[in-house]
Amino acid sequence: MPADISELSDIERDALSEIANIGVSRAAASLRQMVGEQVLLSVPSVKIVSRREAAELVGGSAPRLVAVRQTFEGPFSGRAMLIFPEAHSLELVRSIVGPEHSLEDVIDLEQEALAETGNIILNACLATIANLLRKTMRMSLPSVVRGDGAMMFEAPAEDADLVLFLYIDFTVKHRDIRGFIALLMDLPSFMALREILGDFIADVEKQSNSG
Amino acid sequence: MASFEVESALSALDVGIIVLDAQSTIVEWNDWVARTTGISRQSALGRNLIAVFPSLENTRFPAVISDALLFGSSSILTHTLNRLLPLTGDDARDLLHNVVVRPISSGQSAFCLLQITDVTVSVTRERVLRDRQNARYHAIVDSARDTIITTGTDRKIQWVNAAAEQAFGYAPVELLGQDIDLLIDHGQAAGESHLGELVGGNSSTIQVAGRRKNGEVAHFAVSLGRWKAGDHAFITSIWRDVTEQMAAVSALRESENRHRALLEALPQLVWTCGADGNCDYLNPQWEHYTGVPAKQHLGWAWLDIIHTDDREALEAAWWRSLASGNVFDADARLCRSNRTHRWFKFRSIPVHSADEKIVRWFGTATDITDHIEARDTLRRSNDDLESLVVERTREREVVLQQLHEAQKMESIGQLTGGVAHDFNNLLAVVLGSLSLLKKNLPDDPRTSRLIEGAIQGAERGATLTKRLLAFARRQELKLEAIDLNALFPDLLEFLRQSVGPNIAISLDISDDVHPVNIDANQFELALMNLAVNARDAMPKGGVLTIKVRDEVIGGGHDKPKDLPQGQYVRIDVADTGTGMSEATLAKAMEPFFTTKGVGKGTGLGLSMVQGLAAQSGGGLTISSTPGKGTTISLWFPCARREDIQTAPEKPAQIKVEDRSRGSRILLVDDDPLVSMNTAYMLMDLGHSVLEAPSGPNALRVLETDAQFDVIITDYAMPGMTGLDLAEKIKQLRPKIPIIIATGYAELPPGATLEFPRLSKPYSQQELCEALERASRSLR
Repeated sequence: MPADISELSDIERDALSEIANIGVSRAAASLRQMVGEQVLLSVPSVKIVSRREAAELVGGSAPRLVAVRQTFEGPFSGRAMLIFPEAHSLELVRSIVGPEHSLEDVIDLEQEALAETGNIILNACLATIANLLRKTMRMSLPSVVRGDGAMMFEAPAEDADLVLFLYIDFTVKHRDIRGFIALLMDLPSFMALREILGDFIADVEKQSNSG
Repeated sequence: MASFEVESALSALDVGIIVLDAQSTIVEWNDWVARTTGISRQSALGRNLIAVFPSLENTRFPAVISDALLFGSSSILTHTLNRLLPLTGDDARDLLHNVVVRPISSGQSAFCLLQITDVTVSVTRERVLRDRQNARYHAIVDSARDTIITTGTDRKIQWVNAAAEQAFGYAPVELLGQDIDLLIDHGQAAGESHLGELVGGNSSTIQVAGRRKNGEVAHFAVSLGRWKAGDHAFITSIWRDVTEQMAAVSALRESENRHRALLEALPQLVWTCGADGNCDYLNPQWEHYTGVPAKQHLGWAWLDIIHTDDREALEAAWWRSLASGNVFDADARLCRSNRTHRWFKFRSIPVHSADEKIVRWFGTATDITDHIEARDTLRRSNDDLESLVVERTREREVVLQQLHEAQKMESIGQLTGGVAHDFNNLLAVVLGSLSLLKKNLPDDPRTSRLIEGAIQGAERGATLTKRLLAFARRQELKLEAIDLNALFPDLLEFLRQSVGPNIAISLDISDDVHPVNIDANQFELALMNLAVNARDAMPKGGVLTIKVRDEVIGGGHDKPKDLPQGQYVRIDVADTGTGMSEATLAKAMEPFFTTKGVGKGTGLGLSMVQGLAAQSGGGLTISSTPGKGTTISLWFPCARREDIQTAPEKPAQIKVEDRSRGSRILLVDDDPLVSMNTAYMLMDLGHSVLEAPSGPNALRVLETDAQFDVIITDYAMPGMTGLDLAEKIKQLRPKIPIIIATGYAELPPGATLEFPRLSKPYSQQELCEALERASRSLR
């Protein structure tokens, strides 16, 4: 384990990236079922950053952002967020709900559709983690919030200082929309995640060695 | 505290509650769910949810329920994105709802809660609104004049509106299921790409050449919109027929181009004005002519370059036309920037709208400078020509009249001269014969009186012939420089006797007046004539004034016609008599014209005076005012003072018995009568005479040894003249004196100096004197 808590080892990063991709693949399947068209989701990179750094990564105070937020409790606890520039929000919704809806419909449906879409993606990611780590968690219903980066990463608790930051690419109906998935956790939760992650890696190595 | 069953609360809930155990078996099913599904709690409990609603098999339900049970995740499923439960509302309609799926734990077991919320009311409200919107949409689409066509991606026409029939001629049923290509003109090269765009369905507007059912090609502006419904994509296109518009636009553009080209090609200056006369266009020729950008002359500014002298009239005419609507037509000068100007004809006609109102004025300005100049030149040349013709005609008439006059005078002169000459010879014979007869007849008084009468008659005849010759300017003038101051005293005395005591004569002569070249005798005769005329004009007496002055003839003087410039002496003879009328004055100088009674005058007086003046190189004018008197002015050329000869001594009475008596004389004359008479007179004088009838005959005589002291020859002879003969004789016998007898002044100048002359007719006395002078000159 590296000395700096915020530094993931290569293998840890690979493992997390792998887990995230499995999660979003599940989400894509769910969306495809819902939308009736091919939906591609991928997580190209993973990093652990401070809340301040995370706020910078999403553009600081410049763009208006929209986020679907859920809390989770279990072996590790925190807040999960799917974040988009607000400008892309309607596009995402239109791609989900279909072009037969007028602009007025899309606006009407935005809140619900965003919440459900975010719910699907965040659930999938967290469930995948829980599944792979063979742990059970409790996840809240989604809520939609709007604001800038700083607001998005306001700490729920004093020591919730680290952010597992994942980039996410959506490709729905030939449209590419880039967003972020962020998991805010306090240090104990993070330590727990790394511990569990370590077990997972060991398991995988054991399986591959035995296999 | 009363006991409370949770189940009753669940039953009362206005949301649906379904609880599943870890195997998805229904363990709770509240009244709301029973009511909306039509499945009672009893029949639902213990059954698998998917078994109750097989339609949920392929939805997200199994996954979210599983996630909730396995991983504790909470999910929301909305009616907009999911097919949910088959629920029916109180009104038997589908009940729209959202579902929340949550994990719940009770003891060690995991359960899953499905919470179902009715959203029908709000959604229905939205749908009503949307349907109303759709109704509006259809109302618009069906009544649209533009054709609206919806096709699938396979190009098959799925729907058209009513306007399609009008645009293409096909009934909607004919078009449904047809390929969209039916309506596109493939003769147009652009057709395919348009088709591609139609199928590509990018939302835009394109120009499409369409084909109507009757084969006609029509132009459309087509707006395209691509949309999807379910799994199908559609393209809705709106076709606006722009055929007429395009034709109109292109016709208008062509017409405008044609007009503009015409306006710009015209050599004239062209302008257009609004109905109020405000100029809004000037063609390039205007700019080219004026040298100022045309826009500076728009509005009313063009009036500023109308020539100041023409502007008021032109502007007034323009306002009149604007007020009346009549054609504007005015000529004016138009100034250029370089301060030159030319004449233009301004013409403007009103253009009327359909309701007869004037909408524009269309005007031209044509350069008419050349016309105007040509017109002026023509007018000027016409005037010139006319005045020239008048003048020439007048001149010609004058010349003709002068010619006529000259010819008349010439004829009269010739006639008179010829008659006088012959008559002179005859008179010479008569006179000669009578004087000889008088000598030889016995002294009988009765006979002497008769002979004297005959001689006097013949002498008057001779005087008359002299006057005739003077008028004919053929008299023999003996021109010499005469001092008038010396001449006048004697002459004045003579004139006083002629005019009588009733007439006072006043002489005004300057002391230093120049001498003149005249024949003194003829001059005296001329003044006598004038004095007698003056006397006759003053029957009751009066004053005759003679004024003599030097006068230099230059330009612009009151002077006789054709008198050359030079120094003259002018002699005015003025009476205070009756004067002459213009008609009389005009004829005054004609020969034989007289105002005196028959037998009182010959009518030759004034013409004789004029003949003398002219022959002397001078002239004569007459001015007369009836009742006031007449002034005759004579001009004679000045002579040099040193040319005045001392008064010739009067030749002494010839003593015929003296030296010349007994001379041998050769007499040459072609007229035997004259010759015989002269010979008699010579023989009477004691000379011996040999007669020769011609010059050659005389020469033959002279070739002999015959000796002659004097030769007398007539001048005018056929063949050889007296002068020719004299010249020849002079060579043969230079010492013999020759006398030339002549009644004419036709001897060439100079001949008179060499040979003595005898004026015909001559008396015996004159003959004697001539002989004396000839023999004296030889000595």
